[in-house]
Amino acid sequence: MTILTILNGGTQTTVQDAGRPGHRHLGIPSSGAADRLSFAIANHLVGNDWNAPALECALGGLHIRFERDTIIALSGAEMWAQVQGLNVDTNRAIAVEKGDILTLSYARDGCRAYIAVAGGFSADAFLGSVSTYLPAGLGGIDGRALKAGDKLTLAREPSGIMRSLPIGYAPRLSSHVVLRARSGPEFQLLDAASRRYLFTTPFIATPQTDRMGSRLRGDRIVTEKPLNMTSGPLLPGTLQCPPDGQPILALADGHCTGGYARGLHVIQADQWLLGQIAPGAKVSFRRSFEDDAPAILATRNAMWAQVIPGFRF
Amino acid sequence: MTSPKLLPYGDNAILVHWEVSGFDTDVSEAVHRLAANLRVKGEFVEVMPGYDSVVASFDAANLPYASAKRRVEKALRKNSGESGKDEGRLVDIPVHYGGEYGPDLEALADALGLTPDTVIEKHIARTYRVCMMGFIPGFTFLSEADPALHHPRHATPRPHVPGGSVGIANWQTGIYGLDSPGGWQIIGRTDIKLFDKDRESPFYVAAGDRVRFVPA
Repeated sequence: MTILTILNGGTQTTVQDAGRPGHRHLGIPSSGAADRLSFAIANHLVGNDWNAPALECALGGLHIRFERDTIIALSGAEMWAQVQGLNVDTNRAIAVEKGDILTLSYARDGCRAYIAVAGGFSADAFLGSVSTYLPAGLGGIDGRALKAGDKLTLAREPSGIMRSLPIGYAPRLSSHVVLRARSGPEFQLLDAASRRYLFTTPFIATPQTDRMGSRLRGDRIVTEKPLNMTSGPLLPGTLQCPPDGQPILALADGHCTGGYARGLHVIQADQWLLGQIAPGAKVSFRRSFEDDAPAILATRNAMWAQVIPGFRF
Repeated sequence: MTSPKLLPYGDNAILVHWEVSGFDTDVSEAVHRLAANLRVKGEFVEVMPGYDSVVASFDAANLPYASAKRRVEKALRKNSGESGKDEGRLVDIPVHYGGEYGPDLEALADALGLTPDTVIEKHIARTYRVCMMGFIPGFTFLSEADPALHHPRHATPRPHVPGGSVGIANWQTGIYGLDSPGGWQIIGRTDIKLFDKDRESPFYVAAGDRVRFVPA
């Protein structure tokens, strides 16, 4: 049975779950929610498993009509959301009625909002995941971004649970995204100035920012000598440094191989923030060391496992 | 063969890299043996073989880097003791060479001082190893082409290369899995879909397989 109808798909709205990891050697990126934490929060608030399929709306513009009474939650980027013209909070479950219209305006801070509905959405599965991967048309609704007229159905019966986040837990998003990162395999091949700039001056995310990656603009980041690299494996969270000096940060849908110096790699505990880099945002990198990265991850996992059962960064 | 270097790749991956210039058959064999070995126990999230490297990613909360490194070192010792080669499957790929399917065939032949027929002959004469998949689903990076066929990419990539296009880039040859932008010298095209999400087995070939081109 239809739970909602898309009236306007906005800039780019897709169905996402926790992705399909383990297939990069086949050229298939893991995809999944670009901001895994906000996605998990939205699901948890409506009583879903943290990894149930939800909507990911980039930058805003999404309009939805609910076709049944249900429970929803918004998390991630604050987009001046309204139901029937009244403001609704993020990070809190709310009841909506049949015929209600939810509108998301534009992303104030951050880039992506997640909309979870009690029961989760039913969508096309590929390799065990319904995550939409646009370049190959995988998952979601016909492998594409949602558009006006699309009708979504529920995967399961709703549990009826309504939750809000404990005080102090709502992630703070900003138009200045600070990412802790460790050296990538080719970090030492960058020239001395570039190695310093990477951790000192902020970059700006250019309009070439999407689920595949974010092209950054800022101080030129170049290798000491020209690199004639053979193409090799690439992971999300890696900052690639092409010869033109403007690095590219890989996201959930990023290419599985690349041919440029892999300068930095964002630590596992901070990779959820990659999904909140909007075009025009400032992006800074802070150096993480071998000893602190595991401690940060263990602390963050422990903190969130108390709130969202089973969730891990 | 040189022994590989192990390097941290952030906090949740390790890179195993063999220092070689161009293509090295022994290294490629070692890459695929290591990748197969690292997959056995399932401790790694992604095990990604390349031409001269393997990247294995892991959940840093489960597997500290030091343990991942020990695991890789153990696998490498096992590798070097192994005598048999993992040959993979042998897959024939029919290709329409030249004309609208291979818009670069004639210019490439000219640049190489060969006739188009000789380019085709040399291209079909080898059995190639599938070294790597990606950057997009189905893109098939193959082992070294005949040295007489080595030629750089186009300086400016084409905005649209049809899926199935067979091309040459420096010493590499390969097949585009999907329509995409690309700069390889396109000499032909296969009707086979290297990636088809609706097919029972969506991937036509896998890294480690061997590929022969046959004129369609």
